[in-house]
Amino acid sequence: MPIKSPFESSIAKPGEGKVVLSLLPPSNPTLTTLTYKYPLKLLTRTPGFVPKSSALTCPSQPVHLYLLTYGGGLLPGDKINVSITLEPRTRMVVTTPQGSTKIFKTEPNASVKGQRGTPKPLLSDKSSQTLNVHVGQEAALCYLPDPAVPYQDSRYEQVQTFTVEGSTSSNDNPRRSSLCILDWVTQGRASRGEAWDFHLWRGKNEVWTTTEESGKRKLLLRDSLILDRELDEAQLERGDPELLKHTNVIRERTHPHGVVGTLILYGPVFERLATFFMDRFTSLPRIGARNWSSSPAVASGSAATEPTPNFDAQVTFTAARVRAGFVLVKFGAPDFAAAKDWLGAILRDEGSVYAEFGEEALFCL
Amino acid sequence: MAVKITIRDLEQEIIDLESRLQHARKRLALASASPSTPLPLHSDMDQDLTPAKALSSSAAHALLLLSDSALPLGSFAYSSGLESYLAHNKPLPRTVTPVASFHRFLKLSIASMASTSIPYVLAAYRSPGDLETLDNDMDASTPCIVAQRASLAQGRALIGVWERAFRVTYAAGTALTPPASAAVMAIAEFSHALKSCADTEDELGPKGHLAPLWGVVCLAMGMDARQTAYVFMVNHAKAVLSAAVRASVMGPYQAQSVLASQRLQDMITERIEREWDTPVEDAGQIVPPLDLWVGRHELLYSRIFNS
Repeated sequence: MPIKSPFESSIAKPGEGKVVLSLLPPSNPTLTTLTYKYPLKLLTRTPGFVPKSSALTCPSQPVHLYLLTYGGGLLPGDKINVSITLEPRTRMVVTTPQGSTKIFKTEPNASVKGQRGTPKPLLSDKSSQTLNVHVGQEAALCYLPDPAVPYQDSRYEQVQTFTVEGSTSSNDNPRRSSLCILDWVTQGRASRGEAWDFHLWRGKNEVWTTTEESGKRKLLLRDSLILDRELDEAQLERGDPELLKHTNVIRERTHPHGVVGTLILYGPVFERLATFFMDRFTSLPRIGARNWSSSPAVASGSAATEPTPNFDAQVTFTAARVRAGFVLVKFGAPDFAAAKDWLGAILRDEGSVYAEFGEEALFCL
Repeated sequence: MAVKITIRDLEQEIIDLESRLQHARKRLALASASPSTPLPLHSDMDQDLTPAKALSSSAAHALLLLSDSALPLGSFAYSSGLESYLAHNKPLPRTVTPVASFHRFLKLSIASMASTSIPYVLAAYRSPGDLETLDNDMDASTPCIVAQRASLAQGRALIGVWERAFRVTYAAGTALTPPASAAVMAIAEFSHALKSCADTEDELGPKGHLAPLWGVVCLAMGMDARQTAYVFMVNHAKAVLSAAVRASVMGPYQAQSVLASQRLQDMITERIEREWDTPVEDAGQIVPPLDLWVGRHELLYSRIFNS
């Protein structure tokens, strides 16, 4: 047996990746582990940005992690599985520099023919992405990716699990982890006329914590969205494509939006941003109040008080301070650009993402 | 795995109970002229089931109690987003009538309620011992505080009704089946935890969401799993329709005719069927705008409902 190559990945399965970010003394963020395997590619960079003003005392430099896949998307059957550990006091920015995560669909007859002996000619293989992030005390994750774009007839499932520390005892524990997670999905390639024409998109974001007393895992937050055409094989075999196009339950259920998404904010680093969102939501003009105004153009009337009127008018959003200090922002917008502009404007306007992680954290917005 | 085995055991029991209930349903259909309690009709109603008469009548009685619109849960105070939906879709395009718009909402609301809550109802029914975990997970999975408030108020009211009214009869019953007594225990434990937590203000303590409690209370009252899920959904439909009447979308007779319609029955049955084996981990929102409508209820200038 030859000497084991030091470059050989310790990860056997394709699509798996592992990242561990540690803080070496005195305050030097270092990736102690970074492995990945095709079709996944992970790149990192430390831009040398030092947070000048921060919600935490002595913040460390944020390290950037780029999630890449060969071809910029996922093919049926692709399984991405990334595990990230942020040790205490580290900071990481995760972005998708290739633009939106495309969920492709290939003609299953041509590609899987006879290979696995699975007689599944009509529904394509599911592609999936699993992300597991452990965020240590006083560590912060800023995950603002581009949206997922599921192509027609694609099937996709994504589970993102985050584990935070220091949360159970009290909500204002300054040592607890911080999270900013954006998860959004669009109706597909709108320019090609796709409007929620995929078969399945299932996205789940969970935040867990370990209770100090018993060591048991406790679910703090679960945000789960299921967009399912509810088609089965038999239906696809029977139905003609035109009829199927007209009975699209996903389109019915997402109407009138072309993109829907969730932003999860948690922890001291994002507290100010969370409050900003809450204030913005509660100060929205009352629905129905416009009837009392003399002119029908109340939207522009109330706009005088709003700094960015056009975005709020296009984007329907709600912000709620749910439990354990989480602020959950849900939004729906007619198209990707509207949502992006709206979110980008708010995050830049408020400025804490910029101050804590640098301009590049807002790369996708 | 443990859950699977329990499910199988329970399902065996359900088959047994269900056959007994056929008889009860048949009698119920004859006895009740009111259309306000549409029940799933099964074709094989002509079985002779006299030996289990005592049990079936008690389950039917529980069914009537829990589906009664006078059950003091305060469900009528919530429109489940209808009020907000109407405000967000105003003015309607000329081609869409208010009733058609309402039907769209009802369909979305039922689908969404089933996908988010039925897995919890059934999980609590199948393993009442997990009530506290299910309650926590339900709380974690409800993204909007308006919906959360509605679920909590009704869930706590259900505990109240159980303790003050139903427990006397159902917990002290002589013929308490093992699952029913487990359910009684689970409610008692949960209620105790709820009360002791009320003082400590533990934000992550037990909450009292409606869906898991519904499952456990129905189990304690001897209903079968299908009925539990079905009545839960019918009650939701009733609440939405009652809200529609009060929001002047339709008249009371029209609302009753929707409630009685085969379409609604099929819709509910189909949704329950779809969620029958869904584990709670996979429960989720299938109508994303509903979260927005419900969450934005607070922004309405005038409100007649709590949600």
